[in-house]
Amino acid sequence: MDHRTAERLISERLDGERLSPRQAPALEGHLQTCASCRAFERWAYRLREEVRFEVAPAVPDLVEPIMASIAAEATRGRPRLRLGRTPRGPQPRRALLPRLAPALAGLLAGLVAGSLIVGGPWRDRSALAASDVAREVAAAAPAFEAYQARFAITEYHLSPEVPVRELSMNVWFAAPERFRLDVTDHTDYGSPATPTDLRLVVNGSAWYSSGPAACPSATCPHRETLVRNRAPFSEAAPVPTDIVLPLTTLGDDRGVQVLGAGTVLGRAAVRVELPFERAGPLFPFLELGGEWRPFFHNDRVRIWLDEASWFPLRWEVYPAGGHERDAWALRFGLPEEPSRRAVFTVDALSVELVPPAEGVFAVPETARAEDQGARPVSLAEVPHEVGFEPIAPRELGGLELYRVVVPAVEPAETLVTYAEGLAFLKVGETRSWSAAAPFGPVGLLAEEVRLPNGGLAYFEPATSELGRRLSIHAAGTDLYLESNLPREELLEVAASLPVTGLAMPEIWRVRRTPEGATSRATLEHAAEVLGVPIQLPRALPQGFALASVELVWVQDRVGATLHFHDTETALAAGPIRLHLEAADELPPAAAADQRSVEVRGAVGRYSPSTARLEWIEDGLYRSIDAPGLGLQELLELAASIPTASGGAAP
Amino acid sequence: MRDPDPRTLARAREGDIDAFEELVRLYQADVWRFAYHMTRDRALAEDVTQEAFLRAFRFVRGFRGDSRFSSWLFRIARNCAVDAIRARRLEEVRDPPERPLAAGAAEARAELHAALAAVSEEHREPFLLIEVFGLSYREAADVLGVRVGTVKSRMHRARAAMMRALAVEEDTGGP
Repeated sequence: MDHRTAERLISERLDGERLSPRQAPALEGHLQTCASCRAFERWAYRLREEVRFEVAPAVPDLVEPIMASIAAEATRGRPRLRLGRTPRGPQPRRALLPRLAPALAGLLAGLVAGSLIVGGPWRDRSALAASDVAREVAAAAPAFEAYQARFAITEYHLSPEVPVRELSMNVWFAAPERFRLDVTDHTDYGSPATPTDLRLVVNGSAWYSSGPAACPSATCPHRETLVRNRAPFSEAAPVPTDIVLPLTTLGDDRGVQVLGAGTVLGRAAVRVELPFERAGPLFPFLELGGEWRPFFHNDRVRIWLDEASWFPLRWEVYPAGGHERDAWALRFGLPEEPSRRAVFTVDALSVELVPPAEGVFAVPETARAEDQGARPVSLAEVPHEVGFEPIAPRELGGLELYRVVVPAVEPAETLVTYAEGLAFLKVGETRSWSAAAPFGPVGLLAEEVRLPNGGLAYFEPATSELGRRLSIHAAGTDLYLESNLPREELLEVAASLPVTGLAMPEIWRVRRTPEGATSRATLEHAAEVLGVPIQLPRALPQGFALASVELVWVQDRVGATLHFHDTETALAAGPIRLHLEAADELPPAAAADQRSVEVRGAVGRYSPSTARLEWIEDGLYRSIDAPGLGLQELLELAASIPTASGGAAP
Repeated sequence: MRDPDPRTLARAREGDIDAFEELVRLYQADVWRFAYHMTRDRALAEDVTQEAFLRAFRFVRGFRGDSRFSSWLFRIARNCAVDAIRARRLEEVRDPPERPLAAGAAEARAELHAALAAVSEEHREPFLLIEVFGLSYREAADVLGVRVGTVKSRMHRARAAMMRALAVEEDTGGP
């Protein structure tokens, strides 16, 4: 036993952990011969004694001031937060701020006044990292119970005839699934035109949307959709709660930059920036109907987030610069758009963290309704309905039972959901799964993960429509979990299910295709089949990891495709694929817009439209497909693959 | 650490202010000490304690008893302390760290304070929760929102770091 292990075991034993029958005698044996570890143990005990008796400083009696502030709050009722349109000094952060030194108050007042003079409500402070923001937003989700807000939307360059549009938006939310969004168009079009007036109402099992259908003429027909028996947290009839708390948008800090902090409408706020393609969930109204201007995938979205509750206070779209965007803008007939001027802004006029009136979520009746078929049942009724008692996790990450439904599918399955604030968990189960693929919205190329309980599960990251997902194939049952809890928490929840997940059966892993077959394999097996060792790129984008390896047979040729995915959230870019196959020359180009580039000392090929880089090395054809990455990043990725001898690329 | 009387807790959850005051009396010293060790600042620790109880009062209705009340309260206190530390960092206002008077019997205490201050925040937190407040690994993991295994290894590193800071590694010659 080495010193480090011994010290760790000493530490655990001291803290009341039981060592295993193998560890205990091994530690004793080590201690008998190791003076250094004996000293560690002796000092650890002494440290405990001293700390427990000496560290405690004189404690002030705070009962009175604490109870005074509680009494004050109890008289005021629930905490209410109101934001005024007129910028004003920072509001006291309840108990904390009023007690800060007067010097700080002076400093704050000076900064706010300064920002008003220069016209920007922020000041550049970068003490917060993007990962802090992502973590804070995720941590705020379970406590986010109720919300109502008013926004002003300004849109530029819809068309040459309509250079500016003014709209307003009202949003109401009550956890977990009551939501309403109204957009009212105040634009004076000057000619007959259908205003972009939209409404979305979700009330648990009912989902309603109305608005003008997108159409080529000036006046467009009105469209109404009603969904009944909606499944809880249904991706087909979604609730766009990122507008309330950007849990999906900021579920992953990749591509997110913290620009600074400051005050917006008198609230302490943090400003972050990310590309438009990653910020889609903040613009749900674009999907609800009517006409909207186009956005370039790389346009910059700047969001001010409330620093206490993390709801967005303001978000703005700034054009990305560069030739590519200019060419794109030309196609849409957009005028020149300098990158320093916002082309779209959403501004909070008021936000209140109070429950909306019940009537707000009343779903209008319409003639045309779609039935999603998710029949509500009580947990007690489930065995009678489907013939089995659904398995429940013992650890629920702090969530509570929400809705139980039996979807209208064969074979019978159950969907038990849990929620707290904006955090949710779905657990689906069936006892008669016969398809040759994982149960639930999980693909065959999902990442195989070893759960803390030793079982296997197949994981897929969150997308803009779906949460993080796990499928578990166990003896006699198949389950899936979907949640917006962070990956680690979801894995803990899954590990608390009283089942042990098994590896994907052979019959799922092998697929016949018209040209040959594909088969999910291990990296070692793929290397064996190709007859060469397979090296992984070292410079993967942050958060990416190897998800799965697939062998692909086409006629008499075989290749291996390695899939890398983002381990938390995949909003814009899809997985990165690295393909290897024995060949002496590049195959015919698959895309028209390709050009020659030097890759690792050889002549390779780059296809911008598919973000693909191809080259031949050591008798192997290699390609990297990485949607969202540019040539430079692709070349860096390629260069980070160790050579067969283990060194860096030439 | 003590657990509250379940009847008091039940009354507090129903909004009974007197019952909540009993909880404040029971835990205010522990919460303040924890906040103090996190922030190294007496006044800020008072603010954090007040804020933590105010948040606890708001959310006690939702406390479901799936962890110990003390763990739940520490989790809130920790979040408040993290907010306060961050706010202090953001505002770039730093009180000089408080140094206890190193005289006579207080010397050992001063050394311990200095050693604790020398340990990184990541390692100080589990050390305080387990060593000073007597939480189990599971409870500390709950408070910190990390896995038990992480707490175990941080605890070991914290001890080693404390010993280094107290310069005890010289004493390895055996009893």
